[in-house]
Amino acid sequence: MLLDHAGFDRKARIVTILDEMMGGLEISPSQRELAQQRYEAVGRWLASSGVLMLRDLYIYLQGSTALGTTVKPIGHNEHDVDLVAHRPSYEAVEPAVLKRAIGDRLRENGNYAPLLEEMPRCWRLVYANEFHMDITPAIPNAQCSNGGELVPDRALRRWKTSNPKGYKREFERRAALKPQFRLNKSLQFDAKRADKNVEPYPVATGFKGVLRRMVQIGKRHRDIHFVDLDPCLAPISVIITTLAAWSYEYCVAAKVYESELDLACEVVRYMPAFIEERSVDGRRQWFIWNDTTAGENFAEKWNKHPERAEAFFSWHQRLMADLDALNEVEGMDRLNKGLRDAFGAAPVDRVFGRINEEVATARRSGLLGLAPAAGLSVAATSVPVRANTFFGATPR
Amino acid sequence: MIPNTPRLLTAAQQFVHLRHNATCAGEGLLHAGGLIWHFSMRPTPLSRNYRVRLEYHQGLVPRVFVEDPDLVLLADGRSIPHVYSQKPTRLCLYFPRAFEWQGWMRLDETIVPWIALWLFYFEEWLVSDDWKGGGEHPEVGVRRRPFGRRE
Repeated sequence: MLLDHAGFDRKARIVTILDEMMGGLEISPSQRELAQQRYEAVGRWLASSGVLMLRDLYIYLQGSTALGTTVKPIGHNEHDVDLVAHRPSYEAVEPAVLKRAIGDRLRENGNYAPLLEEMPRCWRLVYANEFHMDITPAIPNAQCSNGGELVPDRALRRWKTSNPKGYKREFERRAALKPQFRLNKSLQFDAKRADKNVEPYPVATGFKGVLRRMVQIGKRHRDIHFVDLDPCLAPISVIITTLAAWSYEYCVAAKVYESELDLACEVVRYMPAFIEERSVDGRRQWFIWNDTTAGENFAEKWNKHPERAEAFFSWHQRLMADLDALNEVEGMDRLNKGLRDAFGAAPVDRVFGRINEEVATARRSGLLGLAPAAGLSVAATSVPVRANTFFGATPR
Repeated sequence: MIPNTPRLLTAAQQFVHLRHNATCAGEGLLHAGGLIWHFSMRPTPLSRNYRVRLEYHQGLVPRVFVEDPDLVLLADGRSIPHVYSQKPTRLCLYFPRAFEWQGWMRLDETIVPWIALWLFYFEEWLVSDDWKGGGEHPEVGVRRRPFGRRE
């Protein structure tokens, strides 16, 4: 990755490093497959209950696993896999009643009962050290012409609007937008996605589009930024995802960029521009509307807890500053430090460890060379680095 | 059969090679029996740009100094490994007793790539405090000796 890169563009290489870091934080393909097998089995179990309320109920993915934007959470080993248990009937049902019916059915199964945890709005199946699956009940929303659904509110008293499928569709449409680059030389994020269509279930691809990586970069940066702060202050993932997607769509249409890193910085810079801010009764109110169904404000909580809005804006400043700093930094040591401060030591150590291994292997096998501008390289045109032993006085 | 011993390169020949190799583009001075070559190099596009001085006198070992940036400042109180002297920072690039470098070898094809490798491992050492480039320190004769901070 460091050595066989044809170009000598530092920004492209920083993008490659970020790409690899984020790739390492995702749910692995085998875990993803396992999760799919498991939630399909859960779906079959729920649908075959014979309970009228659960008839034709089916389960599908929502959230970051559905979008391909997972980031391993800090502090525990399990990825979150968010699922919707959709009951397709329009017959009226209380949120608490439907939720209870799902919980009862899961508890009837000896495999699920010991894994089951009750959450305010959903049921959680905890597969220790792998992932946990959050199963949220949902019913169709007759008022939504866009195929939206209704999910329980936090108090489990009322249904509120949501549209996981529509949201995913719109996210994928935006993610498929192709940015334009002046020299068309640094397309790491996009390399393997060139002619990929929307997948029914996100399949493991080596590289992701810029937007997905941007979302992961934002989420990981948030996790590190808020690690010692009140977790309630951290902006929820859907806010980061939504603002990044809107900003990405805007940036891609508005401009031609020098590099993916410049695009990434710009996307982050414009994120707050898509937050609607109003003064209601002399108080500031914020709105980040779900644009795939009416009435879902992702920033709803900010209006009760304005300190969360403040926390978002100060985190955003920091993310912008950190990305700009990466754009300027000189020296692999400084780059390493900048990345560690922004994204935590673990993903940085993994990628730099691999870079060192790459150089060591090339050197051992006699393939390492030195090329003008590109520096150390395994390119055929480079001057081979002859075997040597670094010598010298013992430092005291 | 005794293999042909390659001919020693003169300082003038070394100078011409250095001048024509794009990996060490710079300028220098040729004098009686020796040369000084100044050039800048970035071991990888993510690395700093280093200004290097290479001195060679025919029959003696090549001497390599990093002039800028100041590696001692970058080392921040730690003793830089694999140097003959901390300041001016003179790099130890090969093991003299193993004849890894000899007078018939082109400086631009041996010493110059070794400088790039040294600088790559130097930046890595700045982060990890562990020299990952391998090598020998004559007074201990062990590989990969960990280096503590200077008191």
